[in-house]
Amino acid sequence: MKIKIDGLECEANYGEYILEVAKRNGIHIPTLCHTDALPGQGSCRLCIVEVIEGGKNKVVVSCLYPVTNEIEVLTNSDKIRRMRKNIIRLLAARAPESEHIRKLKEEYKVPEEKRFNVDKGEKCILCGLCVRACEAVGVYAISSVNRGITKKISPPFEEPPEDCIGCGACAQVCPTGAIALKEFEGKRVIWDKTFELVKCSVCGNYFATCEQYEFLKQKYGLEAEEFLCDKCRKKSTAQKLIF
Amino acid sequence: MIESILKRYPKERRFLLAILQDIQRTYNYLPRKALNEVREYLDIPLSSLYSMATFYRALSLKPKGKYVIRVCDGTACHIRGSMNLLEEIKRELSLLPGEITPDGKFSLETVNCLGSCAIAPVMMINERVYGNLKPDMLKEIFSSLGG
Amino acid sequence: MVEDNMPDKKTVLICCGTGCLANNSYEIYRELKKRVEAAGEDISVKPVLKTTGCNGLCEKGPVITILPEDIFYCKVKISDVDEIFEKTLLKGEIIERLLYLDIKTGKKVKSHKESEFFKRQKKIALRNIGQIDPANIEDYIQREGYRALKKALFEMSPDEIINEVEKSGLRGRGGAGFPTGYKWKQAKKINSFPKYVICNGDEGDPGAFMDRSVMEGDPHSIIEGMIIGAYAVGAQKGFVYIRDEYALAVKNVSRAIKDAYGRGFLGENILGSGFNLDIEIVRGGGAFVCGESTALMASIEGRVGEPRVKYIRSTEKGLWGQPTVLNNVETWANVPVIVDRGAKWFSSIGTEKSKGTKIFSLVGKVNNTGLIEVPMGVTLREIIFDIGGGIPGGKKFKAVQTGGPSGGCIPESLLDLPVDFDSLDKAGSMMGSGGMIVMDESTCMVEVARYYLKFLSEESCGKCTPCREGIRRMLEILEDICAGKGREEDIELLLELAETVREASLCGLGKTAPNPVLTTIKYFKDEYLAHIKEKRCPAGVCKELTSYRINQELCKRCGVCAKKCPAGAIFSKPKSPYVIDNNKCIVCGACREACRFNAIEVMGRREG
Repeated sequence: MKIKIDGLECEANYGEYILEVAKRNGIHIPTLCHTDALPGQGSCRLCIVEVIEGGKNKVVVSCLYPVTNEIEVLTNSDKIRRMRKNIIRLLAARAPESEHIRKLKEEYKVPEEKRFNVDKGEKCILCGLCVRACEAVGVYAISSVNRGITKKISPPFEEPPEDCIGCGACAQVCPTGAIALKEFEGKRVIWDKTFELVKCSVCGNYFATCEQYEFLKQKYGLEAEEFLCDKCRKKSTAQKLIF
Repeated sequence: MIESILKRYPKERRFLLAILQDIQRTYNYLPRKALNEVREYLDIPLSSLYSMATFYRALSLKPKGKYVIRVCDGTACHIRGSMNLLEEIKRELSLLPGEITPDGKFSLETVNCLGSCAIAPVMMINERVYGNLKPDMLKEIFSSLGG
Repeated sequence: MVEDNMPDKKTVLICCGTGCLANNSYEIYRELKKRVEAAGEDISVKPVLKTTGCNGLCEKGPVITILPEDIFYCKVKISDVDEIFEKTLLKGEIIERLLYLDIKTGKKVKSHKESEFFKRQKKIALRNIGQIDPANIEDYIQREGYRALKKALFEMSPDEIINEVEKSGLRGRGGAGFPTGYKWKQAKKINSFPKYVICNGDEGDPGAFMDRSVMEGDPHSIIEGMIIGAYAVGAQKGFVYIRDEYALAVKNVSRAIKDAYGRGFLGENILGSGFNLDIEIVRGGGAFVCGESTALMASIEGRVGEPRVKYIRSTEKGLWGQPTVLNNVETWANVPVIVDRGAKWFSSIGTEKSKGTKIFSLVGKVNNTGLIEVPMGVTLREIIFDIGGGIPGGKKFKAVQTGGPSGGCIPESLLDLPVDFDSLDKAGSMMGSGGMIVMDESTCMVEVARYYLKFLSEESCGKCTPCREGIRRMLEILEDICAGKGREEDIELLLELAETVREASLCGLGKTAPNPVLTTIKYFKDEYLAHIKEKRCPAGVCKELTSYRINQELCKRCGVCAKKCPAGAIFSKPKSPYVIDNNKCIVCGACREACRFNAIEVMGRREG
């Protein structure tokens, strides 16, 4: 079916999210809690757009709004820009240390915060991607804790998480770099838990934790014959295919 | 003992809240040991249990008092002086909401509406409801409970 | 009307709703029972004693009604039992001092029906409450109970039932006012099973106890409604989600479900119709947000109560991704009557777009606090002053807060607005679930806005930015204003944030969160300005912006204020008027309330 985004006619499949359609047509809508691998959080609200449907005008999040009619979408109206600016202001007060948010602040011309008490040293915007990532891996080491304005992401009892395998998926998917992952001397530290790293038998680089291998074995019955890092495994697989 | 609570319910996620509430009512809080047993029984990760325990006000990870004082801070009670009751409790028992007395006898919470608005301001101590309260009535109520 | 159905047998109805219970009404029942049993064969007529649900006039509780004479006694004490037994039960004599005094007319009335409080009401959802023992299914059946169910199962098709509900104009009583019949129609359309029906008994609005009273006082009305609805849409499983704090409601609804199964109204092959339905209770966990339909469903599923977007409706994908019909307690309670008496009768009551009646909990600074049910379209003024009996202590009306934390404050100038789904919206508020909190001159409207934001900041699920961070910052500004740290630009900033919170939040909680702030700014801007510019709280509530002073001319030196003062801050030199030591004063207002001569004045922030 055909929909209009910012005046441009676009082809859309029934049930497709506006964000997907926009992307495909080269229209940029800013996001924070969205990643193609784990879509549909709907928590940051940065991707809001105006939708005109059946004569009515409403504000929705483009990452979750399914196209079911020939609608008209405005991604950058004055109203949307105004609200996006406020959302960025709120996020900047919440996570002032985040580089990504600082860039958004500049882009939307949000001035330095003078009214609200800023959360010094904080980077987390509670988008929930880390929890989703951990669930997708199948580990469930962290979750959202409390509710309302005291909500936060944490391992159970705020202790180093028993179940964590140190894969770092959470840190990788975090849009604001709020999860610290440190590596040194064959060790990896994340969520205050220390992991022993495994060396690649070909190139000698440390690349994964023992716990990750243990997890794959226990959960999926997969056992590795040798430890190969990503690069070396690709090479080895390619070689096997060629010969 | 936790086993006897668990056995009452099928091994389905939808009974999680009910199970946690039964444990809460029995022990006055959710002991860590109990959570581990629930984790085994329902095959639900500890992080999910911790989420539930911290999300729902009916559940607590720390013990509540022998007498749980719930001062209603619903709108009707609020405009009829619930804040003054809280101040009186602070004076009488040195308690702030969320705290428990050192001897474990009293703990204090504010609740958002007990549904007894016509007799505001209202306070509950365990299952008993006290209405039409004035701060000078509290001393007697607490002493009758040994406070 | 069933409300006129009264037994000829001598019956004593003793209200055991939570309000009266807190005032020892159950002890009164036990005392009376003892007297009746002790009398044994000595009395010619043995009265039937029934404990009932909430009668509505909680302010005057404990209340009892004696039938068939229809004598209404209020503020009954245990010490009155003997006299009631001897005089009223045995001799039919009325005890004057226990009769209800109608504030409007200044006269005592014999029957509750004669009072202004009850006269103007029309009880449909509350048709049985106060008249039946909720633990006795027989009482319910005798008052046309389960008659509608039989009609629905054997004389009507599912489509006909939905049609009837649609024609009646019934709209959801939980606050959103969504057309019930249309909702059922959407769910029936979907060809996916299983389907579910849910009763939303998570009444979380502070100041509201309508649903509690129905769940405690007439649980079968809900069950019957749900069975009819389930039959109409094709659901075979129902849930009644009851807020954790309502222990008595859980008890009474459980009992009713059990009895319904016993009589074949629930379970397999209901009354031989071939239709099956199971209903179970799910107890809430203490979270206001679980009153939001998608959060409620998440809670039933055993997860945290986080709402989801409703771009795809729950009637299509609800509980466990299946078609689900969720309705409020009061909505379900109306269903049997609509099916029984017909859509035409129901739609003859109320206004053009808001049919039927609505239960309100009228509380706060009003004389007759309690539960009322009136046809839609009755004005606020009538509710507060005629039915409610006006403001106590001769104080002046200031505002009425409707719709809970999602609603707003309505000033005196708008009191002639009719109460229905749409009229209050125009004023910036909403009818909501029916909570109606009356405020007088001693209420600070800025503090009320702060109070609601504080409530929502704790009850928000915290998932989306506008609600979590927006409410947090609006609260920060309001706390500053109430503490005398407000800035000139604050009102502008509040309005700015309000737009974002209202439009960009994920669910209804966030979307309606700004309403209390918006309405108080709109109608009580002068109070905001006094707080910000003059550092003064006109109502004398915000402690940092208030100090009290005793007018030395008006002080009659009675000393009552000093006695009442919990901080020992009031003293006097011999033969002199009393004086308040502002360093000790905690601004609790006890002296102000106690002084009979209005000698205590409200001043701005204390100096130094």
